[in-house]
Amino acid sequence: MPRLPLGDWVDSGVDWLLAHMSWLFDAIKTVVEGMYDGINAVLTAPEPLLLAGIFAVIAWWLRGLVAGVLAFAGFLLIDSLDLWDRAMSTLALVLVATVIALVISIPLGIWAARSKTVSAVVRPALDLLQTMPSMVLLIPAILFFGLGTSAGVIATLIFALAPGVRMTELGIRQVDAELVEAAEAFGTSPRNTLLRVQLPLALPTIMAGINQVIMLGLSMVVIAGMVGTGGLGGAVNEAIGQLDIGFGFEAGVGIVVLAIYLDRMTSALGTQISPLGRRAAAKARAAGNEKPWNYRPRPAFAVIGVVVLALVAGGMGVFGSSSGTKATSATDVGKGKNITIGYIPWDEGIASTFLWKEILEERGYKVTTTQYAAGPLYTGLATGQVDFQTDSWLPTTHAEYWKKYGKQLDDLGSWYGSTSLELTVPAYMKDVNTLADLKTHASEFGGKITGIEPSAGMMGLLKTKVLKEYGLQGSYDVVDGSTPAMLAELKRAYAKKQPIVVTLWSPHWAYSDYKLKKLKDPKNAWGKGDGVHTVARKGFAADNPDVGKWLKDFKMTESQLTGLEAQIQKSGKGEEQDAVRTWLKQHPGLVDQLAPVAKNQQSR
Amino acid sequence: MSARLEAEHLYKVFGRRPDQAVERLREGADREELRADGTTAAVIDASFSVAPGQIFVVMGLSGSGKSTLLRMLNGLLEPTAGRVLFDGQDLTALGDRELREVRARKISMVFQHFALFPHRSVRENAAYGLEVQGVPRAERLKRAGEALALCGLAGWEDSWPDELSGGMQQRVGLARALATDADLLLMDESFSALDPLIRRDMQDQLLELQQSLKKTIVFITHDLNEAMRLGDRIAVMRDGRIVQTGTAEDILVRPADDYVSSFIQDVDRSRVLTASSVMDTDLRGDEADCACETATPDTPFNELCAISARLTHAVAVLDKDHELVGVVPRQRLVAFLGDEQHEPTPCVSPRDGGEKVTAHA
Repeated sequence: MPRLPLGDWVDSGVDWLLAHMSWLFDAIKTVVEGMYDGINAVLTAPEPLLLAGIFAVIAWWLRGLVAGVLAFAGFLLIDSLDLWDRAMSTLALVLVATVIALVISIPLGIWAARSKTVSAVVRPALDLLQTMPSMVLLIPAILFFGLGTSAGVIATLIFALAPGVRMTELGIRQVDAELVEAAEAFGTSPRNTLLRVQLPLALPTIMAGINQVIMLGLSMVVIAGMVGTGGLGGAVNEAIGQLDIGFGFEAGVGIVVLAIYLDRMTSALGTQISPLGRRAAAKARAAGNEKPWNYRPRPAFAVIGVVVLALVAGGMGVFGSSSGTKATSATDVGKGKNITIGYIPWDEGIASTFLWKEILEERGYKVTTTQYAAGPLYTGLATGQVDFQTDSWLPTTHAEYWKKYGKQLDDLGSWYGSTSLELTVPAYMKDVNTLADLKTHASEFGGKITGIEPSAGMMGLLKTKVLKEYGLQGSYDVVDGSTPAMLAELKRAYAKKQPIVVTLWSPHWAYSDYKLKKLKDPKNAWGKGDGVHTVARKGFAADNPDVGKWLKDFKMTESQLTGLEAQIQKSGKGEEQDAVRTWLKQHPGLVDQLAPVAKNQQSR
Repeated sequence: MSARLEAEHLYKVFGRRPDQAVERLREGADREELRADGTTAAVIDASFSVAPGQIFVVMGLSGSGKSTLLRMLNGLLEPTAGRVLFDGQDLTALGDRELREVRARKISMVFQHFALFPHRSVRENAAYGLEVQGVPRAERLKRAGEALALCGLAGWEDSWPDELSGGMQQRVGLARALATDADLLLMDESFSALDPLIRRDMQDQLLELQQSLKKTIVFITHDLNEAMRLGDRIAVMRDGRIVQTGTAEDILVRPADDYVSSFIQDVDRSRVLTASSVMDTDLRGDEADCACETATPDTPFNELCAISARLTHAVAVLDKDHELVGVVPRQRLVAFLGDEQHEPTPCVSPRDGGEKVTAHA
């Protein structure tokens, strides 16, 4: 069979779109971000307690007293887990994605219900959108819309589109043909047949579709977190990236509360707004069993309640926002300028990123740090979404990325070197000392090399070069995973003294925590050691000459780096910046050394 | 009097290349031949006319094309060939918009399974046609109430369709059709889904309403008894073609072919026949010269039997001007009831107590 260059076609298609349609993507991005910012501003303005109250009143109205109380408790839980802002940002993201998905899917569903041709064309397209692995869609979304909310919203809405279209089509097609014929026989125009007969009768099915859209959107939020949407998805992502099970669970619980609330509310809303649903509810009420806890306030009363709470919330928001004037200091070079640092959850990356976050904040910059996988991070740098990152392993490990994006990036030089990549076994594996030794011990290791993220450069190197050099391709499989997963696996095996071989690199704190043995590489298959480079978007150093200079001069010794990494490891997830502060206190004068402020600037 | 509704050589063919199929049908091709090619000829060369105020019943078994025929009359289906004239206006020449206007104002329809809108109350259902016409809300609700009252549903206006029995639901369907003041009522097996007692009630009510409203009605049914009860004129359809058109008596007394006669076997003749179709017109002239009870041509068969039982001789039939037009011997009544057309065969050994032959006494 000849190789079909489908991938090349897609590549050139994406390039063409980028070159010629960027105005369209920019327009979409503006709309999406505007909607998101608006909704997010509304949701985060009031006190959490008040907003939880509003949510509770809505639940009381739609479902009854028990639902109201539970909703209130659920949102209190979110607030008490300190996830309120993240939850509201996720809610805003889901709402924006849902609204846009409905604006697209309901008309499309109606169209598909009325035309067999449209239905036949739309169906496979929906299958494609829904089953295509989401990460595959996520990267083009970043290319088109940049990192952050809009890429997340677009990826979410593409994923969530299908049930909206399908259920709308199904709902309309399910309406009794005799009823449609009756409408036509009385001279109803097609438009009025749709509005007066088909849509009202299809409404329960359409509402079920909307419910599905929201639920799928929520489930996509976690994946969208990978492209820097923040919110609960970002929290889950960071937590799993750093093997922080507790925090991951908390963020997960937050998502569950949102999911249950949205699910119950939309399904109840289906009953409330569809004429058939109201009819069924009235019948059930007439049948008796009216209990006090089933009492539901009348719509007018519920609306008044929501409005009163919202007014109180808005009022408090106004008073709350009047605080916070910043003191300016002599070392305020940044004057509140925003800088975005991206990082891959690798230990030296976390350490150097939070070190610079702390230093730049001391110098008056507003710094945002966001965690990404390597691929999205380079894409974000190339499109200018991220200002710089400190963890590029050049020239070898990240050669692929450099080849692809190098022209859109500035290399600010190496701050640590040289590094080495290696396969590592615990020291108790007495007979395995070199890569060549692996061949005879394949069965002992189960033919398995525990690897890290498949997007990491060293994984590519291992698979295409190292295994071949030592003739290991047949006997070993490289298991793709993540750095934290690899470290967890290493820890587990080490505790039980089981055989394990992992991909590792120096410097790494694991070498100080465990007794490990780097496998010798006499054929030099891993290549020369890399330097850890700081890479910025094109023009960043020119825009920020001070920061550019500091970063170019940035150097760390092995003892500094491993010491900082160990301090961060000790403090735990979420406390990275505190760890950096503690460490900086132990190294007085380092900030001024790394980010010197010129005398004339100080006197200003 | 000119016809209100006329169908001229209507054809409806489903499938590919319908025009070609119509051509072949005109050349005498069979329905089965077309079916082999994957096209279905639902209605073939149907022509009829309906006078104002008449109930025209189209009778046929399922698959005979009667529902398709009905839907061509108000343009829900576009005929493949032929014309539909309503008050002299060619409906097949109208555009979609004008056709909708005609359906909204002049033609209404009653459905087999009622087709009430479940998301509207009884009153709103009855007002639907007026809503489409654009009648203001207050007026259309008032007129819907009147139509419901006419159909015996006063007091049920604020109920919902799912709270009513089948018969009552169909009354709502009838009220919805009557509320628009359309001249032409199309009824598609409207009483077929009801159980027999309710069906009779509805038939009676329709006839009663028709006395005062004088609508022009095209009624579809597969039930010949219903057709005979309701129809001023009846068309019998078979395999897409109209095989016979005529009054109930025409069909009963002079069936066009074996198919129709096999159909009418189950019909309760005594309900349909009148003196005019039973009487013998071969007269001597002196049959009415006694003072005995007589009948008119319209006297129903049942009553004729009762009169005959009270007389010792044949019943004389007199028209409006008291002119003798026919005579009904008892033998004839029995023959019609038993659908026997031959003269009785004389008995080989007549016994005492054997019935006397009274026919030509």
